[in-house]
Amino acid sequence: MHELLLFASVPAHQHHELLQQLAGLTAMQPRHRLERRLVFKAYRKPGLTNARGGTNQGADIVRLNKMLNGGMYYTQVVGPISEADFDTQRSSSGDPDAAMSGTDEAAGSSYDYENQPWKLEFRDIPEAGTRSTITARLTASATLPKGDIVTPMNAWGYSFVTEYVVEGQVFIHNDIVIFLHRVLQYPIHGQEPHEPRRQLPSFRDMSPLERTGSYILQAAITVQDGSNQELMRTAFQHLFGLREQLKSAVRLEHADRLSLDTRAK
Amino acid sequence: MIGSRARTPVTWIRCSRRSSLIELSSRLPLRPACSPSTWGHSLKSGSPSIMADSFKLPLRPVIEKSDRPDSLPRDIAQINAQWGSFRELTEASLREKIEADKDKDPWAEEDEADQETADVDTSERMEQLYKRRAEIIQFAGEAHAEASFALDFVSLLLSKHNPRQAETTMSLFLKNAAPLGSLNSEVIDPPPRPDTALGDIKSVARGWRLQNFNNAASKLLNAGLRLNVEVDAETEYWGQVLAVKEKGWKVCRLPRDGQALGVQYGFLEATPLFRDRGLAALRRADDGKLVLDKGLVPRKTQGVRVRIKYQGRIIGCSKVCRPSQDVESTESRILQARDTLFEEELFYEIMREARVLGNQGVTTRQNLVKVPVSEEQEILLDLVDWDQDHASEEAASSNEQNALADAISHSIRILLTFAHRQNLRRRTEPPLPLAPKRRPVSEYQILRPVMAYLQHKSHIQWLESFIASLRRVLEAADIKCDFSATQFSSIGVLQPNHLFPKVESLVGVFLAPFESTFSGTLITPRSSFKVRIRTNPTVPPVGTFYDISVNLPQFPEVQPLNRVGLQGEVAQAVTHFVMLDLAAAISLQNPKNQGSPGKVSWEVAYPHHGELLARDTAGQSKKMKVSLSHEELNIQTYSLSRGEGFAKPVATKSALLSQTWKPGASGPQPSLVEFVAQASRP
Repeated sequence: MHELLLFASVPAHQHHELLQQLAGLTAMQPRHRLERRLVFKAYRKPGLTNARGGTNQGADIVRLNKMLNGGMYYTQVVGPISEADFDTQRSSSGDPDAAMSGTDEAAGSSYDYENQPWKLEFRDIPEAGTRSTITARLTASATLPKGDIVTPMNAWGYSFVTEYVVEGQVFIHNDIVIFLHRVLQYPIHGQEPHEPRRQLPSFRDMSPLERTGSYILQAAITVQDGSNQELMRTAFQHLFGLREQLKSAVRLEHADRLSLDTRAK
Repeated sequence: MIGSRARTPVTWIRCSRRSSLIELSSRLPLRPACSPSTWGHSLKSGSPSIMADSFKLPLRPVIEKSDRPDSLPRDIAQINAQWGSFRELTEASLREKIEADKDKDPWAEEDEADQETADVDTSERMEQLYKRRAEIIQFAGEAHAEASFALDFVSLLLSKHNPRQAETTMSLFLKNAAPLGSLNSEVIDPPPRPDTALGDIKSVARGWRLQNFNNAASKLLNAGLRLNVEVDAETEYWGQVLAVKEKGWKVCRLPRDGQALGVQYGFLEATPLFRDRGLAALRRADDGKLVLDKGLVPRKTQGVRVRIKYQGRIIGCSKVCRPSQDVESTESRILQARDTLFEEELFYEIMREARVLGNQGVTTRQNLVKVPVSEEQEILLDLVDWDQDHASEEAASSNEQNALADAISHSIRILLTFAHRQNLRRRTEPPLPLAPKRRPVSEYQILRPVMAYLQHKSHIQWLESFIASLRRVLEAADIKCDFSATQFSSIGVLQPNHLFPKVESLVGVFLAPFESTFSGTLITPRSSFKVRIRTNPTVPPVGTFYDISVNLPQFPEVQPLNRVGLQGEVAQAVTHFVMLDLAAAISLQNPKNQGSPGKVSWEVAYPHHGELLARDTAGQSKKMKVSLSHEELNIQTYSLSRGEGFAKPVATKSALLSQTWKPGASGPQPSLVEFVAQASRP
């Protein structure tokens, strides 16, 4: 599959207004999306990619295999969560006073790591070349077993690097998925853990990566077969159309290719 | 957003109609730019803080007393020059003249000429047209020639001082005829004019100026009046737009005509054809009334009508849509437009679905869909004007099924709305990747659930009546059996689902296959049967199927029947199973009579033919034949001679005993037990 993308930066004060505008444009209410994203890095050449998922996607999978065996990439493991999954009391490593004050809410933490569904998302480095007006890249995704994901990922040759949370609103405009989101970081107490957290801290403790609180607007369209020129052209036109429609609100642009480089050095 | 737009023009300009003064609020960018002496302007107050209030500006020039009053001799001389003599100058004639002058406007002459042309007939008009056209061309030619001459003249004059530039604008002829710089100009002093001439010029100029001021004032005042009317109209228009908006309608700018407002009353999730029609422009009539401009769409109110036809007669008709009470109000017109749009879409979708249901006997005409429910019943759907609906009410021969027709008409509307909701759900799901082949939009399920429900219901009714008649036959023979029915077992339970709203899951139940079960216990202990009726509205195989399962301990080889489609076969099968059980029951009746001497015991010989055999001690054989239908139960016994075998037909033999049980037969009848006991005697 191919993914075509346009991005825009949305300052915090424009966020609410843009939500309204997007809701009007897409004629739908925004869908809240909250995701845990674990970053894994390939540490040896993975040779067992065939075992993953149903391999009925033909040419794409062959290409994917070739690529996975050729170079090494960072991949992401994505798990949907909800705000209720976050610990309502202060994080366990916090000071005891805070924990005491929040004891009546202790029942609110219901995060079940063992049943957390996961999805593997592979993103190639964006294509170089003439299509510089839009970011286009090869993507593949596969459903993973629930619960502890580090063991199987290790077996496939990936080691855990870090994790973060993405929070935002999704709109659907015909074939385009508009995702207005920001990246949240876990509060850091001392050393960064070497495996995914089994308990989530309080949502209030999560701090945005971008200190100003600005959001990223991402307009994405996926194409089944990237080699089909006609389809790609259609997708391009749809994205350009959206860019024109949103021109007075935000400026959608392609991203710097190297900033989206997923290759592991 | 609309609110602010709506109010802006109202607060900006406010004109008073009665006075000849225009009151302008301070926001209007008009400042007394002209000098006070010219306009004789009178500001109420000069302080800037009160400038915010309106100020008054007299537009008509103030006619001052002339500093030098005209001398009487001059007046007399003027009158003589103008009117000839004093004798012809009376007050009445002067007034007439003034009146005539007042009505006359500078363009009146042309208007008169226009009126004349209106009278002449077409050929003359054509001629006149050509003549005028020639005149116009001639005038244009003359004007062009004169302009060229003037240009040449000026160019030649300038060529003295600026030859290169002047040369570019000179005509070829002039260049050849006159050398450059051959014309010069000098300023000369004009001869001094006499004082009288100067005075005349001054007074004429003054008169002209006064007249022009007057004209300008009347133009401004007229413009003010027109603006006033416009403002009133705009106020009314925006008030009505606001009223529409406050009712909750979505008011927006028209996509193609950015200047106009529109109201959205259509359904966002409808087919694009109808979704795009759900937007009408809110235009302003000249008097400020709000006009709902729907374009070329007919203005009739239409609705889908459901009629029930039973054995060729129409026995039920649904009410179409309510006739709008208040045709003039904007709200009701919007509502009417919305309803008509909905009804048209409904019929369109019904038509679309009916075409794929051809294999189930649904037929379509230009404006009619016929849906067969059972052999005798048919549903007719058509799109009619609401007044037409009232006219055709007499055509319905009775109204007994009006409730059913209304129920169907409500269901199809609910199902269309449900389809809209499904569309919304589909639209807001993350889309699948772009693929070369777009999946076509499948037809909505509107007719299919209704058809399935009615079919299922008619099948249930049939089976119910069949089993009831069978039961009456058995009861006539004093046989106790127990039947029970669970109708629409699939509908009763509504699974709570947090993913879908309750309304949607409620409708969703009606799109799932319908299922009903009939079960009964039979005469012999532990034997029972069960009939399951399933009707599948969408997924093939569509239609109604019966599954008959049976539990007969005496005949373990009897297999259940699955997927029987015909009612006749079901009736046959059920009757057969009951008959088998009856035969088994008769054979089981023996053991308790075993001890009594002289009695024969019956044994089942050919169960599937309902034949039992008995052999008494003397070697005499007897045969009993049980035949059962939903009308009667008949048992006959025959005697068979020894060695005759069972294979021979028994019809030639005369019956020893025969008994027929019918429901409702008069007179006492022996029960089955008594009959068997009687037949068991040697």
